[in-house]
Amino acid sequence: MLTLFYETRAMNTRVIVDRMIVLALVIAGWELCSLHFGTIWFSSPLRVLYRFGEEIRSGDLFFQASYTLKAALYGSLLGGIPAALLPFVLRRHPVAGAILDPYFVGGYGVPKLALAPLFILWFGVDIAPKVALVASIVSFLVFFSTTAGVNAVNAQYVSVARVFGANERDIARHIVWPGAIPYAFAGFRVAAPYAIGAAVVGELISSNRGLGFMVQSGATDFDTTLVFVSLVTLTIIVVVVNLLIGLLERWLLRWRPPQRHLAARVAGT
Amino acid sequence: MSIAVARPLPGRGRVRRLVPVGRVAVAIAGIVLWQLGSNAMGAEWLPGPAEVVARIWQLTISGELARDTLVTFGEAAAGMLLGGSTGALLPFILRLSPRLMTALEPLIAAGFGLPKLALAPLFILWFGIGVATKVVFVASIVFFLMFYNGLAGILSVDPRLISMLRVSGASEWLISREVVWNTAKPFLFSGLKIALPRALSGAVVGEFIAADSGLGWYIQNERSLNDVVGVVAGAVIVTVLVMAVNAMLQRIQARSLAWRPVAKDMAL
Amino acid sequence: MSSPRTMLEVKGLAKRFSPRSGQAAAPWILADLSFHVAEQEFLTLVGPSGAGKSTLLNIIAQVDGASEGEIFFRGKLIETADGAALKPGWNCQIGYVTQDDNLLPWRTLYENVTLPLKLQGRFDATGKARVDDLLRVTNLSGFQRYYPHELSGGMRKRAALIRTLAYDPPIILMDEPFGAVDAQTRTQLQQDLLRLWHRGGKTIVFVTHDIGEAIALGDRVLVLSKSPAKIIAAHNIGIKRPRDLGNVYRLEGFGELFEAVRKDIQ
Repeated sequence: MLTLFYETRAMNTRVIVDRMIVLALVIAGWELCSLHFGTIWFSSPLRVLYRFGEEIRSGDLFFQASYTLKAALYGSLLGGIPAALLPFVLRRHPVAGAILDPYFVGGYGVPKLALAPLFILWFGVDIAPKVALVASIVSFLVFFSTTAGVNAVNAQYVSVARVFGANERDIARHIVWPGAIPYAFAGFRVAAPYAIGAAVVGELISSNRGLGFMVQSGATDFDTTLVFVSLVTLTIIVVVVNLLIGLLERWLLRWRPPQRHLAARVAGT
Repeated sequence: MSIAVARPLPGRGRVRRLVPVGRVAVAIAGIVLWQLGSNAMGAEWLPGPAEVVARIWQLTISGELARDTLVTFGEAAAGMLLGGSTGALLPFILRLSPRLMTALEPLIAAGFGLPKLALAPLFILWFGIGVATKVVFVASIVFFLMFYNGLAGILSVDPRLISMLRVSGASEWLISREVVWNTAKPFLFSGLKIALPRALSGAVVGEFIAADSGLGWYIQNERSLNDVVGVVAGAVIVTVLVMAVNAMLQRIQARSLAWRPVAKDMAL
Repeated sequence: MSSPRTMLEVKGLAKRFSPRSGQAAAPWILADLSFHVAEQEFLTLVGPSGAGKSTLLNIIAQVDGASEGEIFFRGKLIETADGAALKPGWNCQIGYVTQDDNLLPWRTLYENVTLPLKLQGRFDATGKARVDDLLRVTNLSGFQRYYPHELSGGMRKRAALIRTLAYDPPIILMDEPFGAVDAQTRTQLQQDLLRLWHRGGKTIVFVTHDIGEAIALGDRVLVLSKSPAKIIAAHNIGIKRPRDLGNVYRLEGFGELFEAVRKDIQ
């Protein structure tokens, strides 16, 4: 979804000014709500800013954030890597693929987050159930993306390669694999926010560490400032991760022609 | 029907007939493995299929199942209404001012970035542990989903059609209705189709965190009582429910090939 | 019987695809197609678009199988209707330049051009020298590290052509390779092709729907009918080489040949 905002472009002054205005309005609106309804419900921009600085200085924010990110990362790798490799195996055994197909689709339909308590029951309260939860979600996303890539292999490339002497292994290595990589990447990119979200949910339900835990404990203590600090941190993390993956993707896939920017397309309408 | 391996069934005749047989075989093997796993690891850890079914039956008879399901469903439906309507409408309004759209872009990106699930405790703080919280929670999830789909639909509009209509003197209102709405419609419907299972899932998760009724509350309650059978039974019920809704929606949109699990219409 | 100097002989080739559900039998695409190609000959085939020209080349290149008929390569039978026994490219003896350039987008120009040699294990000093030479002749030196999407259409066509020439197959099939470029680039490409053909002593089977191109390039032109395709006429092209492709329409004998072929196609 953040793919809509994929390409950053040169900003002109008007855009920057507009965005500054929006930011100012948001902060002003927030301050107003805080004044009107009371800081216990909304905290206030200034308090959140100060608390944010405090948490960073004390190292606490770093500690909690790294717990969440660890769960998200391990789960993504644990679930994503086998899921990215499986379509290549299934390509050579299409019958097995056809037999298992409805189970893959069905498995995707299972609401993994709703199974969180089950995972917690099975794997304990430490980082393991979060990793399992993230892995279960990321694996399906990456699997379907990569499968789409494997199926999208250009048949003409394969024919032409056969004519000049490629055997099945060459084709898999030089044509199917590079052709499917962008799709696998897209799968990881789509999955990243879900991975982080899943780690957070795991923490909300049962944890003593992590950003989700921060949100939860902040809410229970009526410490709204902490809640907002954690939410802002989460947002920043997700946006940054998305950006990083996008940059990595752009570097790895520099053979691809570039893609168009969001507002430019809207302006067309 | 095949989505993961989206090509016609391989092989001819004999091999092709093997596939449905293979699928049934896998299903049976799955259940057998479940039972074996339960025996191996002990029913305290993994209750067997029979026990789980028995518990589900119990819940059905006692009426608990119906009551909790209704609560969860109600939250999901109300949330869909609230979030869906606002989320679908906003892109059409924003479209009228590209300048506003550009200015709001970082805000929108941040909105997409935040895992909506993390808002649950905040909503509980604001609205308590009653049904309203879950409704707002679901609404926030559905809002972004529908907004994203509406936006994608609007982006896919062919600008040449619009120029043509403008040249022939059509009003902005007419253009919006004729071209933009019709182009965006399939995206919106696709979004609705994805939204319902998400809404259900969201309601359940919301209930995990704070509730006094509903399927999510049931599961969480059973977990706190360390009643494995209950947790598994609850999980099975939610799974079956969501998959049934999925299947129903898929049948409704059976003719459209746009239904793919990984599509641009994924958002939270 | 095939003489020793015949490189390729096609006898009674026929092809139809499997019928779709509800159809009794699919229509024949090729029927009773026979012709031969001599060594080092530049043979052009001309016919209306969609007549099955690509299918014919696919079958010769062993990318697809035929329903009936035989194909001999240097006297040896190579055609088989059994799909599993197909050997595309016939051990890299038959090169095939397709209509789309089909360069792998994730490889640079140099990596694309050298891929066949690498896969065949022949990327040695001679191979490298040949590649460098081909790049020079087609004015592609200096663009080795560009990705296909950064190259112009004409450059991609050239790259596809030298990709096949790099591993030196004795016979090369070409399927309307210059169709999708502008007229000026096309003339340039045609000249490059003729130069490379002459230098390398290759045999070329060139398929096109453009009568002018067929006459300008070939030693002999065969005319294909509409579906089901068969050879309905053959003309020897007596125009002397080297030919000035920029002024091909004014070459001696061109006009009569053009008229003759056009009438054949009616």
